[in-house]
Amino acid sequence: MRLFLGQRAWMLQRATAVVLLIFLAAAAAMLLAGPPLSYERWHALATSPHGAVLIVVLFAALALHGWIGIRDIVLDYLHSPAVRLPLLGLIALVLIAIVIRVALTMAAHFMTAG
Amino acid sequence: MSAGGEEEDVRISIYRFNPETDAKPRMQDYDVMPEAGDKKLLDALMRLKTVDDSLSFRRSCREGVCGSDAMNINGRNGLACLTSLAGLKEPVVLRPLPGFPVIRDLIVDMTQFFAHYHAIKPYLINDELAPERERLQTPEERDRLNGLYECILCACCSAFCPSYWWNPDKFIGPAGLLQAYRFISDSRDTATAERLAYLDDVYRLYRCRTIMNCTEVCPKSLSPSHAIERIRLALVRESS
Repeated sequence: MRLFLGQRAWMLQRATAVVLLIFLAAAAAMLLAGPPLSYERWHALATSPHGAVLIVVLFAALALHGWIGIRDIVLDYLHSPAVRLPLLGLIALVLIAIVIRVALTMAAHFMTAG
Repeated sequence: MSAGGEEEDVRISIYRFNPETDAKPRMQDYDVMPEAGDKKLLDALMRLKTVDDSLSFRRSCREGVCGSDAMNINGRNGLACLTSLAGLKEPVVLRPLPGFPVIRDLIVDMTQFFAHYHAIKPYLINDELAPERERLQTPEERDRLNGLYECILCACCSAFCPSYWWNPDKFIGPAGLLQAYRFISDSRDTATAERLAYLDDVYRLYRCRTIMNCTEVCPKSLSPSHAIERIRLALVRESS
């Protein structure tokens, strides 16, 4: 639990922010350079091993970053444990589900291809 | 009254609340004629007090050192004794420090504020044998306390901090954190690790959202947000 409290969470929030920033810059570069975006280009990215791993990393960073941010908002405004705990649990569940879904989707291609 | 001739009535609208007689607070308008030498808002309040002695506010040194007369002046926290009458938009709206429980009129209950201050152990801790005369510091070590030791605990910053409004019972607040850093950065203090461990908490320190109202409003021009940033960096160094 310590990973998600105090200083660790603060570090994690900044580290994931850097990851997201790098992805944002890479996406901007991708848009500016190279052929216009198309389904084929996205498909090629998602089905390349590097691309698939990067997409999973992106969503994991997004989920972690989002978790700390949303958790902070809940801690600030919602003071009743009866509301807070179920809500935090639900948010965590949704975020974890999103990452698992993305990871499974990415893996599925390689399972069938392999 | 004065040879200056520039004095005019100043209209002041003041938050009035007496829990013994009032069901709810109200705003009361006053017109006050400043006399020669009345330069600051506190001077006008003192004039008012001679007319209406039921008006309650704290004040002591009247020169920005004691920190008693902190209040919300036209929507901004400040010290009445440091706020010039000239240039104040009228009517001057005076309210108690926001987010603090009101005892009466402009007087707020600072119990929780000082509880946070005491919790950060605002005194030097040094278990080493005391030298014969004093614990010496280099001029550089002494310089590190500049911008920290000047805090007068007026609570202008904490009462202007949204994070403190939301969690006044758990978040130490900018004033307490500035004071905490004053002792963390003191070369003579040996309890740095314990101090940092106490602050490494999702509420005590990390409720700060770097809104920086504290730095913006400090009547002594100190920067609690800078101190908070230094505490965070010290925690990063401590953990790595």
